[in-house]
Amino acid sequence: MLEAKNIHFCIKNKPIVDQVNIQLNPGELTVLLGPNGAGKSTLFRLLSGELLCKHGAVKYNGLPISSLKPKELAHLRAVMPQHSTMTFPFKAIEVVELGLSLSNKKYPPNTVEEVMKATHTWHLKDQLFGDLSGGEKQRVQLARVLAQIWEINSFPRYLLLDEPTSSMDIAQQHHILQIMGQLKNRNIGILAILHDLNLAANYADNAVLLKNGSILKQGAIRDVMTPENLEKVFDYPIQVETEGPTAPIYISSLPSTKIRSQNYNFKFA
Amino acid sequence: MIQNLIYSKTQHQNLVLSVLSLGLLLLAVFSLTVGAYPISFPNAVAVLLNQVGLVLGTFTVQESNVLLQIRFPRILLAMLVGGGLGVSGAALQGLFRNPLVEPGLIGVSSGGALFAVIFIVFGASFPWLTNLFGNFSLPLFAFIGGLINVMLVYEMANYGGKTDISLLILAGVALTALSSALIGLAIFYADEAALRNFTFWSLGDVGGANWDKVKIAILLILAPSFWIMFQYRNLNALSLGENEAFHMGVDVQRVKYIVLFMSALVVGVGVSMTGTIGFVGLIVPHLIRLSFGADHRLVLPGAFLLGACLLNASDLLARTIVMPAELPIGIITAIIGSPFFIWLIINVKKIRT
Repeated sequence: MLEAKNIHFCIKNKPIVDQVNIQLNPGELTVLLGPNGAGKSTLFRLLSGELLCKHGAVKYNGLPISSLKPKELAHLRAVMPQHSTMTFPFKAIEVVELGLSLSNKKYPPNTVEEVMKATHTWHLKDQLFGDLSGGEKQRVQLARVLAQIWEINSFPRYLLLDEPTSSMDIAQQHHILQIMGQLKNRNIGILAILHDLNLAANYADNAVLLKNGSILKQGAIRDVMTPENLEKVFDYPIQVETEGPTAPIYISSLPSTKIRSQNYNFKFA
Repeated sequence: MIQNLIYSKTQHQNLVLSVLSLGLLLLAVFSLTVGAYPISFPNAVAVLLNQVGLVLGTFTVQESNVLLQIRFPRILLAMLVGGGLGVSGAALQGLFRNPLVEPGLIGVSSGGALFAVIFIVFGASFPWLTNLFGNFSLPLFAFIGGLINVMLVYEMANYGGKTDISLLILAGVALTALSSALIGLAIFYADEAALRNFTFWSLGDVGGANWDKVKIAILLILAPSFWIMFQYRNLNALSLGENEAFHMGVDVQRVKYIVLFMSALVVGVGVSMTGTIGFVGLIVPHLIRLSFGADHRLVLPGAFLLGACLLNASDLLARTIVMPAELPIGIITAIIGSPFFIWLIINVKKIRT
């Protein structure tokens, strides 16, 4: 279990993450939702070990994160940041191989091929990473991150994704979230920051709503993603429709002029 | 199939490195025979074989002296210094995630030169230093100077895991200017003897090579260069960014210190022996990357071998163009390097993919 207890992080005495408790179970996909500036990325970086919190503790399978060496941590979790740039002319396949080269010397020889085929990037393998489109780069990065934890292992591991699908087309977005579903069977717990509420509602098991550095609500997806909670967290009316506990969830929001136009009359001087 | 692919990639890298090594060897043998005092190839080989106890062919005592006391150590020193500049250039570029980094440009060389001058001028006042470190005193002093500057530049140009290129260049310019000013100041206070020593050192280039210097260079340039080469996995990961490298299990801080420390050592020791030689550390890693890809497993040793070739070839030119006089080797590398640097600045957007 990946566990954060009472974590607190300040920048210039302003709390960015305030007394957050969060639990990530292996075999579950949890989404982290919230408006811009809610502290999602800071929380994400605290969980990945990139930042260390002054108060509270982050524990991986019961081990405090500060006691783990970078290499040990890399065996337990893989992280995909929002943007990664490559300085030198590496090929796509070389970028994916990076995910394997450090954590483990011996790995099944077809790992790279498997992850690249799973992310639909195998045909790009000999192209330079810098020449790829935004969505393609994102898929290659995801392949690299997956390679790090692809090998089946007995202990639970975690995958942290910061807006993994932000540059992808709709078909690729669904494809990537389906891969996440398969990863859950490998005893991997996944935490993803997502902006697309429909993707979040229909693929995730749990949701965490974050606002102003604190958790507004967390729990099973259908308990958390109600119109009331979503409106509270995003300060905007959001409709949630579903026909039953197993039926798909439709989340929509309408232009403000059509729902309460009187509140949003700009005066163009 | 993928196994095949990785296998053939490693094989390809080994092939490239073998070819470079062979080229370096041929160049070295060729350099042995050329110079103000020409020695025929069979005689040169005979002299070398004689050293390992094989008697084959004939040679004169003069040939043997020129070869063993002057030319051979000179060629070895040029190789070691050139290789060291190449590999430290490649490693620093990898660490700073920037293709414009060069030991000379970011102040490592000038820091080394400053401390070398300080030692030459004021070293006589501290005899215990020389007693303690002997022949190593000058190279060690130069290393400290290089280290101070590279740390300062790194701290100044780095924030949030990224290196700001304009800050980096400005920091390099500032530190180089300060170092030159302080070198001038040190010389102002130098006495006659120190001044003569300084003049010899600053004109030194590889012409001043002897076996003592070669031994120090093997210990303080070759050994740290190998250490840098073994960081190839970490530097590959770092080319994605410091955070990403940490996510993949790299102890970023440790790698940073190894590369900064070892590069300062390699460059500082080189500077203390041959004076400042520019551009080798800039050109060589690029030529390797452009030709054979960016994998540091190949780039680091490749840069060492090509740097050794380049400095050796430059030295060969320097001592043959105006024979029997010699040009300073820095002139040759600057004539080759400056246009390349300009080309690089113009094309940097294409290279930084």
